[in-house]
Formats: sequence, C-alpha cells, structure tokens
Amino acid sequence: MRRIYQIDGEETECWLSHDGRSMILNTPDGAIPCQLDATEAPGGYTLRVRGRTYDMRVAVGPDATFVHLNGRTFAIGRVDPAERLAGNDGGAVDDRIVAPMPGVVVSVNAKAGDQVKEGQPLLVIESMKLETSLTAPRDGVIAEIPFAAGDSFGLKATLAQLAPQEE
Amino acid sequence: MRRIESQIDTNAPDFKANHAAMSERLKEFHARQHATRFERPQRDIDRLARQDKLGVRERLKLLLDPGTPFLEFSTLAACREYDGAVPGAAVVTGIGIVQGREVAIHANDASVKGGAWYPHTVKKIVRLLDVALENRLPVIHICDSAGGFLPLQHGVFPDRYLGGRVFRNQVKLSQANIPQIAVVGGHCTAGGAYVPTLSDYNIIIEGTGAIFLGGPPLVKAATGEEVGVQELGGAVMHTSVSGTGDYRAATEQHAFSLAREIVSQWKRTPKTIIETATFEEPYYDPKELYGIIPKDRKTQFDMREVLARIVDGSRFHEYQPDYGTTMICGFAHIWGYKVGILANNGVLFNDSSLKAAHFMQLCNQNRTPLVFFQNITGYMVGREYEERGIAKDGAKMLMAQGGSVVPKFTVIANASYGAGNYGMCGRAWDARTLFMWPQAEIGVMGADQAANTMADVKIRQLQREGKELTEEEIAAIRDPVLEKFRQDVEAYTSTSELWDDGILDPADTRNALGMSISASLNAPIDDPHYGIFRL
Repeated sequence: MRRIYQIDGEETECWLSHDGRSMILNTPDGAIPCQLDATEAPGGYTLRVRGRTYDMRVAVGPDATFVHLNGRTFAIGRVDPAERLAGNDGGAVDDRIVAPMPGVVVSVNAKAGDQVKEGQPLLVIESMKLETSLTAPRDGVIAEIPFAAGDSFGLKATLAQLAPQEE
Repeated sequence: MRRIESQIDTNAPDFKANHAAMSERLKEFHARQHATRFERPQRDIDRLARQDKLGVRERLKLLLDPGTPFLEFSTLAACREYDGAVPGAAVVTGIGIVQGREVAIHANDASVKGGAWYPHTVKKIVRLLDVALENRLPVIHICDSAGGFLPLQHGVFPDRYLGGRVFRNQVKLSQANIPQIAVVGGHCTAGGAYVPTLSDYNIIIEGTGAIFLGGPPLVKAATGEEVGVQELGGAVMHTSVSGTGDYRAATEQHAFSLAREIVSQWKRTPKTIIETATFEEPYYDPKELYGIIPKDRKTQFDMREVLARIVDGSRFHEYQPDYGTTMICGFAHIWGYKVGILANNGVLFNDSSLKAAHFMQLCNQNRTPLVFFQNITGYMVGREYEERGIAKDGAKMLMAQGGSVVPKFTVIANASYGAGNYGMCGRAWDARTLFMWPQAEIGVMGADQAANTMADVKIRQLQREGKELTEEEIAAIRDPVLEKFRQDVEAYTSTSELWDDGILDPADTRNALGMSISASLNAPIDDPHYGIFRL
C-alpha cells in the first residue's frame, strides 16, 4: 500500500523505493526516477527528475513538511492510512441506548419530544459504585425515556429511544 | 501509530471545576511533600551542624550526577503514623543516576529521630532492596542511624519482612552479583553494623562515621570496659586494623567522590533490549489531566483521555477496540519504550477479563512490558454474570497477570476496589513500581459501602435485641464508621503504609513510568510460562 500525503489540501498516494541505481517515486501515474541531494544551505536540496534540476528548501514541522519550490510553498501532511480508510466506524448508529449492565437511574436530563445533539447527556446511571453518563448516539428527537430517577433496570433494558431518522 | 483524538473541551465548566479541585489537592500534596523533605525543627538542624554532618538531601546532591532525575519512593511514608513525627519514615529511598548508571539508594535521614529505624523505616528499606533485586540495580547505602527505635522493637525486629530482611536482601543482592556500596556517615550500631559489612565496598567518614556491634555505653554496661567511639569503631581503626572498613574519607565530599569512583569502575552489563521508538512528548498537555479526572470519584471518565496525556506523541494502537470495551488494551510508547497498556474504562465483565488475559499473553510472548492504569470498582456481580463464569474469567485474568514474566508497572489513577485491584496488578502482584494519584482510593470496597455494611450489621443486632432506633441513633452509628473508612481508603493512608511507591502529581506520571521502565531493563526477561487457566 502506498503512503497517502496531503499536498496543499489535495490527497495523493506515493511510495519511495530504490532500484539499485536511483530513487524511484511510485505514483498512481507510474514510476518516476528521481534524485535528491542536500546542498550546503540550511534545509536546501537539489532535486533531479525527468532531466530537470530544481532547487528547493525543506522545513519539517510536527504536523506537516513545508517545501519551497519554484517560488511557491507547499504544505505536505502525511495521512494515516488506518484512519483514512476506517470509514465512518460501523456505519449507522443504533437509535436505542441499551443498559450496559443492571443498575439504577440517578438522573434523567431529557424527555420525550426533546431535540438532542450527538454526545448530549441524556441520563446518568449508577452501577457497581460508578456513575456513568449515557449520551445521545446521534442528533435527533427523543421518542421515549422509560425510566425515572431512582428506578432500577436490568441488563440490556432500553434506557432511551430516539425517533427514527427520516430519509 | 495513530494519535488519540481528544474529545476534551478545556473551556467546559466540568473541566474547569475538575481542574480547580485537583489543583487544590495538589497544592496540599506538594506542600506536604516539601515539608517532609525539607522542614525540620531547628534543634535537629542544629544537632546535625554540631556533629559536623550534612543533611541527607545534601548528601544525595553530592552522590548523584547533576541534572539527572531522582525517582524518590514513598516520600510520605509514615505520614499517618507516630503523630506525623517521623517524616518520610526517617529514610530516603529511590532510583538515581551515578556516573551514568541507574542505582538504588537507601539513605538514613539523621535529622529525623537520629535516623532511627521505625517499623515503617524498615518496610521502606526492605521495599527498596526488593526493587534493587527485581531490577538488578546496584545499591548505595548512606548509613547514619541511631539504630532500631526501641519502644517499638517488636515492629522493627522479629518478623519475616522486618529488620532481618534488610540484611537478608543484602546477602541475596551479593549472591546475584549485584554490587553494593555503603557510605558510613554516622553510627552503624548493632544490626546496623551489617549494612556496611555486607556491602562489597564501604567508606567510613573520619570523625563522624563509626561501626560497632555495641556502642561505648553498652560495652561499659556489659563488661565494664571504657572505650571511646573512635577507638571502638572509627574510620582509622576499621580501615587499618580490623579490615571491616575499606576506605577512609577525610570529609563527606571525599566520601562521595570515592563512592562515585567505585561506581565508575564497575563492569557495565548490557540492558535488556525491547522495542523502542524515537522519543516524543505527548501531543496533549499532561497538565490537562487535572481537568479530566472528575472531582467526584464516582463519575466515570474515558481513560483514553488519560493515556493521551501520558504516552509518546499521544499515540495509541488499540487492540480489540470493539470487544470488552470496559477494558482498554493497546500498545504505546513511553520515553520511547514500547509498552502494552491495560486501562479500566468501567467494571470488569466476562469479555473484558478475557480480553485482558489474552492481551497480557500477547505482550509476554513479544516481551512487551505491561502498564496498568487502574480505575476499577470491581468485577461485575449478579446472577447473569455468575452463570457466565465471571469468577473463572477473573481467575484467567489473574493467572495471566500473575504469571507474566515481563516487567509490570501500575498507576492507581482513581478507584482500586476489591478483586479489581488484584486483576489490575495491585501491590501484591509484584509491579516493579506502583504509584497512586492523590485523589485515588483503595479498599476492599468503597467507604460508603463498607460503612453501610458495618452499620447495618450493628443496627440489625440492636433490632434483634428489641431496640427501635431513631434516624439520629442510626446516624450516630453510621457516621463515625463512615468517617473512619473515608480516611482508610485515601491515598495518604496507602502511601503512609507503603502500599504504594508514592503519590504522584498526575502530570509527573509519564516521567515516573519512563524512569521505572528504564530501570527494569537492567534485569533480563524470562521466557513466558504460566499456571493452569480455568477455561
């Protein structure tokens, strides 16, 4: 798998290899032989590619590498493939909040009909000496919160239900 | 390795409230630590000056490489004992750097009760020598002790892990080819005489240092012989007549320069090689931990936010992210050293226990040290879970944890209750170092649960005797019990009793772990082997 870079906001894939004689930059458009030599200037390099020579300056930052070439500066960031290719982690989220364990409701912070945002605390439960805040899995409208403060519930009980999302 | 994406909003009211509460706690903690290290009654300071002796902190400064870290253990040991009159248990212990080498240091603090050995002093010294044995660290003893504190002799002398264990561990160190130096900067009397004599090298400071089995008053009482300190056990006599001492030092400065010279000529044994990466500071500021740790200990929080402020580059490769989600397992680097991390994100269920056991086996197989972050209220209880075999799944986790051959390190980050403490490498399970955060609590159960249980037993007993109790009477029974339990589970109690190696400012955790891991690599890592897993 080639590495993924972001150059001035645009994604591109490439991989640097060596064929025994020179460096090869492998891109989706083919393999390009190239050569990079440091000059005496701080961060200075000479790039030789396809018979042409370019002078360039390179500065490495924690999140991007900056290349000054032909009077322009390019910001090059590395994109983590595992992150980039993960997708939206499992696709559709559940409309229900299901009790992860038996316990008692400590407080309820929303009611049926409320418009809620993803991550908004809906209710706090206590179990095993621990208070856990349960949050909305997505933006939406509360259809039902069947328990009140002080109520006990069992494992996998539905603690909150969001109204189904309209397409 | 990917960076953890923090979800923390440092401007949120919760964050600010937590931050304020933790800052308040830390102010107290740092003040107590400073007092323990540096504040002494004037008469004790005057006495040391009169005896022409340096304080223990100045001695450490002479011994250690300047500008290097000193990982001090159990600074607040005995803080809840002896009416607080024996700060640090009258001894300083830790891991420091001498001539570029990691060494374990045991130094009596003669500004506290003349450096006498109290029960907690002995516990602290034995622990340090255990650390030296487990990690194969050379030991430097700085001896200046009045001897065992006689009124509490039964807490100092007879049992397996008391006074004798200090000397027994010295013997075991020698047997394991781990060198020891003793710098004698005060009297080493009776048992204390064996600390320098069991060391491979000892240095006696002229005028102040002396070694004898019985001091002049005891000799006079026993045989009637009248003899002065110097003739009986001084530097000149021991280094030129008895051969009990090896080197004579003209001054304290001379003594520590000799000690450093001795260390510099020791053979260097290569450290164990584990996977490493380039050192990287965490991407997220460790001081943000103050706002992440909830001010109410019962409130749940995401331990990934904690890890993001401890590990290199805040990078974490999470293992089985969607299974047994109350147990976070994964790989990260600390100070460049690759570690396997187990961190609680809720109660331990069957799946979380199995995941932990599996992950620990994986780490043992590829020689990756384990770091445990405890916030555990226990293994799940109830019919459903018993039927699924929570007790045997917990046993599997213990078998994998206790059977681990890789070095283990534990941070009690919040709650440490019941068997969860065991599964997550509590004190009994040989963590190379174990530290506690100041708001953390440790006990068989929470203070409220314990107090209620105790009070209920008492109340039911009274009811059986036909007594009807009013609300006030019930409170009068419950409240004092609750108060006592609240104290008992506090980090200060734990650290006073040496159930840990010290309380940490959470922001210092990364460095304490880095230093611990580095030190642990002085010892080899065995091949993995286990007992029987109840499948």
